[in-house]
Amino acid sequence: MKEYQVVGKSVRRLDALEKATGMGTFTTDLALPGMLYAKVLRSPHAHARIVKIDTGRAEQLPGVEAVACFKNTTRVKFNHSATMTFTVPPMEAVLDECIYDDVVRYVGDEVAAVAAVSERIAEEALALIDVEYELLPAVFDPVKAMEPDAPDIHIKKAGCFLCGKNIPGEKIHLALGNVEEGFKESDVIIEETFYLPVQKQAQLETQAALATVSNNGDITVWSTTQTPHPTRQILSHIFQIPQSKIRVLNPPYIGGGFGVRIGLSAKAEPIAVDLAMKTKKPVKIVYDRKEDFTSTDTRHSGIVTVKLGAKKDGTFQALQLKGLLNTGAYCSFGAETIGVLGAMGLSVYRAPHMLYTGNSVYTNITPAGAFRGFGNPQAMFAIETVVDMMAERLGMDAKELRLKNIIKPGDPWILPYSCQSTGLAECIEKGAKEIGWERRGTLNKPGDTLRRGIGMAVGTHVSDAWPFCGDFSNAYVTIQADGSVHVASGVPDMGTGTRTTLGQFAAEVIGVGMEHVSVTIADTQSTPFDIGSHASRTCYVAGQAVMKAATEARGYALAYAANMLNEPLEDLTILDAVVFCRGDRKLTLAEVARHAHLHNEQFIGVGKVIPQNAPPWLAHFAEVEVDTETGQVRLLKMVAAHDVGKAINPVIVEGQLQGGVVQGMGYALSEEVIFDREGRSQHDAYHKYMLLTAEDMPEIKAIIVEAEDPTGPCGAKGVGETGQVATAPAIASAIYDAVGVRMKQLPMTEERVFQALQELQKR
Amino acid sequence: MLKDYLLPASVDEALQNLQAYSGKAAIIAGGTDIMVNMAEGKVSPEALIDISRIGEFKQIEEEGEFIKLGAGVTHTQAARSPLIREKALVLAQACREVGSLQIRNVGTLVGNVVSAQPAADAAVALVALEAIAEIADLQGKREEPVEELYAGIGACKVDCRSQLVTALRFKALSPNQGSAFKRLAKRKALALPMLNVAVVLSLKEGAFEWVRIVMAPVGPGPVRATASENILAGASVSPEIIEKAAAAAREQAAPRDSALRGSAAYRRDVLKVLVRRALQDAVSQAGGSL
Repeated sequence: MKEYQVVGKSVRRLDALEKATGMGTFTTDLALPGMLYAKVLRSPHAHARIVKIDTGRAEQLPGVEAVACFKNTTRVKFNHSATMTFTVPPMEAVLDECIYDDVVRYVGDEVAAVAAVSERIAEEALALIDVEYELLPAVFDPVKAMEPDAPDIHIKKAGCFLCGKNIPGEKIHLALGNVEEGFKESDVIIEETFYLPVQKQAQLETQAALATVSNNGDITVWSTTQTPHPTRQILSHIFQIPQSKIRVLNPPYIGGGFGVRIGLSAKAEPIAVDLAMKTKKPVKIVYDRKEDFTSTDTRHSGIVTVKLGAKKDGTFQALQLKGLLNTGAYCSFGAETIGVLGAMGLSVYRAPHMLYTGNSVYTNITPAGAFRGFGNPQAMFAIETVVDMMAERLGMDAKELRLKNIIKPGDPWILPYSCQSTGLAECIEKGAKEIGWERRGTLNKPGDTLRRGIGMAVGTHVSDAWPFCGDFSNAYVTIQADGSVHVASGVPDMGTGTRTTLGQFAAEVIGVGMEHVSVTIADTQSTPFDIGSHASRTCYVAGQAVMKAATEARGYALAYAANMLNEPLEDLTILDAVVFCRGDRKLTLAEVARHAHLHNEQFIGVGKVIPQNAPPWLAHFAEVEVDTETGQVRLLKMVAAHDVGKAINPVIVEGQLQGGVVQGMGYALSEEVIFDREGRSQHDAYHKYMLLTAEDMPEIKAIIVEAEDPTGPCGAKGVGETGQVATAPAIASAIYDAVGVRMKQLPMTEERVFQALQELQKR
Repeated sequence: MLKDYLLPASVDEALQNLQAYSGKAAIIAGGTDIMVNMAEGKVSPEALIDISRIGEFKQIEEEGEFIKLGAGVTHTQAARSPLIREKALVLAQACREVGSLQIRNVGTLVGNVVSAQPAADAAVALVALEAIAEIADLQGKREEPVEELYAGIGACKVDCRSQLVTALRFKALSPNQGSAFKRLAKRKALALPMLNVAVVLSLKEGAFEWVRIVMAPVGPGPVRATASENILAGASVSPEIIEKAAAAAREQAAPRDSALRGSAAYRRDVLKVLVRRALQDAVSQAGGSL
């Protein structure tokens, strides 16, 4: 394995001191002179037409400077997710929303917005807007929404592509071999259906934006977006203004994201820009927590069916997967998530015959979009539970059955790129050792009411979105006149340590310590185009761009130094900011850079990357204790063994894995947004929505496995989402081991486990 | 609209402040309820009267056979008090379950009572302890059992416009007595209880001398499981009688279906388990054997 100086080391994060001391700047913190505050009037109805809207009384309220609604605001159709900026023809992005429409499609949909001198006055003005609604029939169930007599949530027209009743985007069809033959060849077939809930990102910083418009019409927007460059493209589209006249940036920090702002931060940016254009003043909008729950993307709820056929010896013959995702009132990433559900679900195991069919469907609930895992957790809860059941039916150890069937490089698989590396077998073995897999089935005595169990599940993910949609990165790396190194990349750092990791790549390539490196991120004006942070791609793709740019800058510096020293270029190297030559001839990088500066030259490298893709792999293990009298599940230990290719900064990687596991634990046990019969969210606040707390945490052991991928920067693969992928099925498997019930609906609340136990007793 | 924030140094001064605002002032101690209600626009007092500077309000003390808690005693104080842990464990256990550490550090037990929520953990334990509230107004002092202060969901019989609860008092448990608190919630912190149960009992020569069982949220305030209490009173200690009493609690309780806190049927089934477990713990504390 290659020796590195900076890569692979847990160097201190560049943002550590600022954030630990409370000095880091977030959009929510920003203020500009003369700034106005925006508040949004939201629909109380799940589906209604606005018959009349009168903003007169609100406009009269002293302190109110503008009121916006569909009557006085652009109605250009867009999609608030970044899909509209990178969907490649012949596929078509679904553009199904405008800032304010005359039809509202879910409880919380935007009706109007006020800009006023204070938040309180803006709030008061909302109550003065008179709206008359004509109620329309609403549908909340994804199956009912596809029935012929269901209400149409969007009318098929230009820019809003429907391929069936309430079905946006494409119906996905992925096939390998012939599943019917595969099932005929199988000795054992298991088919089960699983029900997945709405989960919420619940990131700490709510959606926020601050927009200003200069005298000559240039627009600047600070916001919480995970993708500043695509967000600029969307704003350019909505307001029909050239991209060159819009600047989007993070200030520079974002309080988490988890996918909730890939593209616009819900509608924070266009609402702020529109009101800033109307008032000629800076306008800031910060969603309150309730708005963040009701009116920003969630994880897709849905129904997944798995049919698995195997030979008696455990060889998988056929795997069929069906997906239905509820994308809510607007498509967002609904067309992509349903595809990833199938693509990821079918790329873990080797089977000669596979088939996936799936589609998303509109209903009148909060839109669902991107959330860490992006369809993959839905797929793997279903698949891994069925694999567990298959092991039991075949009388095989669940770990051995997986080891027998997991994909290896060279196997045929469903994805349009090849699998060039896998450390999954190593993940399984290391994780099993850590949890004590051999103890499985030996933990309880007859009659115990508190019963322990051990379970496992595996999975994979992506390292970017190529070739499913547009995906590329650019970076500048400059060796400054004093020899220090500056990196410019368009990705954000939403808490994932991006700045530090990208800095490590530049430091490693050029041969300097981290103290010489600074990193500018997430600004369309000072960084080259980058798709941004999604699809676990930031380290993998932006990292490659930075390495390429740094290599180029280093080349210029070395060539210059070779000239200065009058030595052959190939004899020169840079170590610890010193350019060494044969013998003891050397110059500091600072000396070289200063000399160059005085002779009118700077070392600027540009890195442009069109990436490939690489599968990260993961094996999760859980130990739980189930109270058989209450149904409560207590987590005792979680193990997450992940093949990350190469951990550029191991502590950051462990943090990513643990964070993903924590969200997976909530998905498994307690997190769920339920809508009542009128479509109103019952879980619209932190005290109602059951994120697990610090007191609920078990020991979480992250194990890093490094099967370097030839396509990754220093071999690295994506780690942003993997922690979430197979956590719920590992816990479900442990619950089964403890008490013998197969849970087929998430979250596995105490009441659902209790009911399952009662049904088991009746049998 | 809030105009003033007052810091009286004595009970008298606080009562006079209340009178001066003739019903438009509100008492604040920890502020964990009133600040939320003000932020949501549910109440809008003209003045807040902060009682945290009244010296004796911070005290937990033994007065003869009683334990007395001042009106400013926080949940953290009660949960960690050696006196309460020894002689009223149910209260320490209940106080440890409220909210989160930050909320417990400022929220008071008296606040927990006067907010009159149906399943306030500390209040449930206090009812099981047959705690008495000392209530003062400008006319004088009176005493009322905590159990009788409930006038509906979120409604307390103490008139906060002119009256102040100054202390809580209950009998310390003796070595032949025991207590326990059990709770079912969706997570270990920051979760309202789906169910909570408090038990206080006294044993005499292998039998239950008396038992008090309180359950919530199955009514507007903490509810005594009277049928269960009657089954146990005078009976010999045995697993069978405990099971019978627990089953009776299940029959008596009428929780509601809740999207956030579980179905009525589930909660009734689990209530029985919690009552049984609380009784078992309390019996063993009182030196009984099962």
